[in-house]
Amino acid sequence: MSERMKLASEPSGVSVLKMDDAKGRNIFSAEFITEFLHALDELERERRTKVLILCGQQDVFCGGAEKQALLDLCDGKAVVRDLVLCERLVEVPFPVIAAMEGHAIGGGLAVGFCCDIVIAARESRYGAVFMSLGFTPGMGCTTLLAELVGPYLASEMMFTGKRFRGSELEGKGTHINYVLPRTEVVAKAWDIAEQIAEKDARSISLLKHALSVNKKKLLVDARHQEDLMHRISFSFPETRRTIQELYPE
Amino acid sequence: MTKEAVIEVIKKNIAANSDDIDAAGIDPQKSMKDYGANSLDMIEVVSTSMRELKIKVPRSELTDLNNIDQLADKFLEYVNKGNG
Repeated sequence: MSERMKLASEPSGVSVLKMDDAKGRNIFSAEFITEFLHALDELERERRTKVLILCGQQDVFCGGAEKQALLDLCDGKAVVRDLVLCERLVEVPFPVIAAMEGHAIGGGLAVGFCCDIVIAARESRYGAVFMSLGFTPGMGCTTLLAELVGPYLASEMMFTGKRFRGSELEGKGTHINYVLPRTEVVAKAWDIAEQIAEKDARSISLLKHALSVNKKKLLVDARHQEDLMHRISFSFPETRRTIQELYPE
Repeated sequence: MTKEAVIEVIKKNIAANSDDIDAAGIDPQKSMKDYGANSLDMIEVVSTSMRELKIKVPRSELTDLNNIDQLADKFLEYVNKGNG
């Protein structure tokens, strides 16, 4: 059992992966990413999972990039490990339900929208904060955020960097499956997971593959334009200063 | 505009940005950090408050402030500049 990822599998085929890095607050440290990917590897190897519930801590679902990774990007170093998370969530042979009880910020929001079914909490905040730190959005935001919340709201979220409360998103006709009180998020995820787990495992996997085709394409498209924009926007001296001054420690 | 009014604007925006803080319970002698605000919260509180007060304070003038009271003083300085 890894330190930051708690993995549990039920005989029914429902597995739960809890991102639980109390110290790092679920940001993408190298250890966080490695353990996350190991957990998915293990589920794929065991071949018993029909559906995965991905959850985080009560107040933080996922915090996104690590400060040092952003500073490395300022230095012109390529940081690709974060992007693998999104790809893996899209490529695993079972559907993933994002049970986002807590905040999902930046890359953390991307982890959510790369899942197949998304449940948010009224009390928590969801934001694509990249531009508030001086650089353009990454992690698939430029193509996939619109899939989850609609293109115009996605534009507002990316241009302003504003973190929206679940309760604000609730009234906006997004494609988030459910926006619920925080305490009900995981229970709803279980309800959906159990319905899925009743289905034939081979058919679930076929359907996941088919439904992921478009997401994969959108991720590839995003990668191209986001990499290009990052090469430019991370090279602004102001960006480094903003990250150094403002990025949460 | 009085300093009290500026403080009220800041307090209101701190409360709007946090999960469980009531504007009335905020002590201006404390820092936003004391109320659990992280840097993103502070960016939001500061930028929303500046929009509301119709001022623009350069970020470099905000880095050395220690509490809400000092932020209010800085804001008030710019509010008065705008009127003068």
